[in-house]
Amino acid sequence: MARRRAKAAPKGKDEDVRTVAMLVTAGIISLVVAISVILAPIPQVGPDEGNQAPDFVADAYNGFGWNEYRLSDNYDWDWNGSSDSKWMLIYFMDTDCPYCWVDGDEMSQLHSQWSDRVNFVTVAAELSIPNHDSTRGEIEAFRDKTSYFGCNSDRDDCIDRPGTPNDWPYIDDRSMTIMNMWGLSGTPVSFILEPDGTVAWNKNKHQGQGGDGEELSEALQRLVGGQ
Amino acid sequence: MSVITPPLMAFIAGIVISSYLLIKAKETSGEQGTLGVLNASMGFSAVGIMGSGWTWAIHNSMIMGSSSMCATEGLVQCGSVIGDPQWNNLFGIPWGLIGIVSFALIWFFVLSIRMDIHAKWASGYVDLLFYVSLAGVPFVIWLVLVELTMVDGAPHICPYCTVIHIALIGMVACSYFLRQKRDTGTWS
Repeated sequence: MARRRAKAAPKGKDEDVRTVAMLVTAGIISLVVAISVILAPIPQVGPDEGNQAPDFVADAYNGFGWNEYRLSDNYDWDWNGSSDSKWMLIYFMDTDCPYCWVDGDEMSQLHSQWSDRVNFVTVAAELSIPNHDSTRGEIEAFRDKTSYFGCNSDRDDCIDRPGTPNDWPYIDDRSMTIMNMWGLSGTPVSFILEPDGTVAWNKNKHQGQGGDGEELSEALQRLVGGQ
Repeated sequence: MSVITPPLMAFIAGIVISSYLLIKAKETSGEQGTLGVLNASMGFSAVGIMGSGWTWAIHNSMIMGSSSMCATEGLVQCGSVIGDPQWNNLFGIPWGLIGIVSFALIWFFVLSIRMDIHAKWASGYVDLLFYVSLAGVPFVIWLVLVELTMVDGAPHICPYCTVIHIALIGMVACSYFLRQKRDTGTWS
């Protein structure tokens, strides 16, 4: 009786090809990444001076209602350092923060002095501190200086805020999304941006440890006034 | 800027060729059929890697204002999708970079199997390939929803993003057929 020989299953290669596959993959990825970076270099984004300011989209109150606001919509991308394009002042605050309450006067003064050359934007956060619960109504009242009890750690009526009613946008950042994106944990903090969105002045760098103590008003004078 | 650019045409050509290879491989039995599906997989993953690299470059240029690499106006455009700071990243990581890494992993599995389809580990890699590809599907659904309903001025359709999404769907199909070939004994 004839015996049938079982057909042997195909055998894999003796060497492990996975190392070669990994090297080939790494080479291809390196090439793709290198070409992408050559086509468009990775921008430095962050709150440090010289970096591109982190962009954001959020709801903003302009005195009439809440509308979507995108920071970069206000940039002049073609700014060459000498045109009349407007700079930006971004002021991070909390309607319940006592320091921000006191700052109200200075912000109003700075706006009246620089509004023709600087766009002001306030980002209203909600810090995780007792009595720092905020609402859109409170943000509106803080900006407009209208009656709403609950500002300044729930101690004051917003109508009593120092300074004049503000006429620049107030961004709702009670979710702390923008604060986190900018790496901020406290208020008030202010930034001056060049017209193309480059961070020109970061308060924390000047008034923190090792800073030169330069105040916001001095920075505006040096950066914008000197132009 | 025109929506149809040479890179987009190249990516679409890659998708068409990979799809053709896949359909042809499905009709071929045995090892040749398996190799055909693997070739199609390499095509889809290559389009995925290069397309992701391209969108990452668009992302980087959009941060600095505008990009000459894709249209920024109209329904079919990248500007409002890749340029949207709210949706163009996952925990701060650009989607393009996530795509490069994901498709690199897929490419590695495909290339390993393609180089030695009879290796002991090939069967396990087919499963890994299928699960990794399948894991990308919820992200594709999410990103399509984002561009159609959530970005500024929605709906928009980002052509490069769409090509990458199709490449991933192609990979899911390829890895499914590879599993089928393995499970039905028609691998070789």
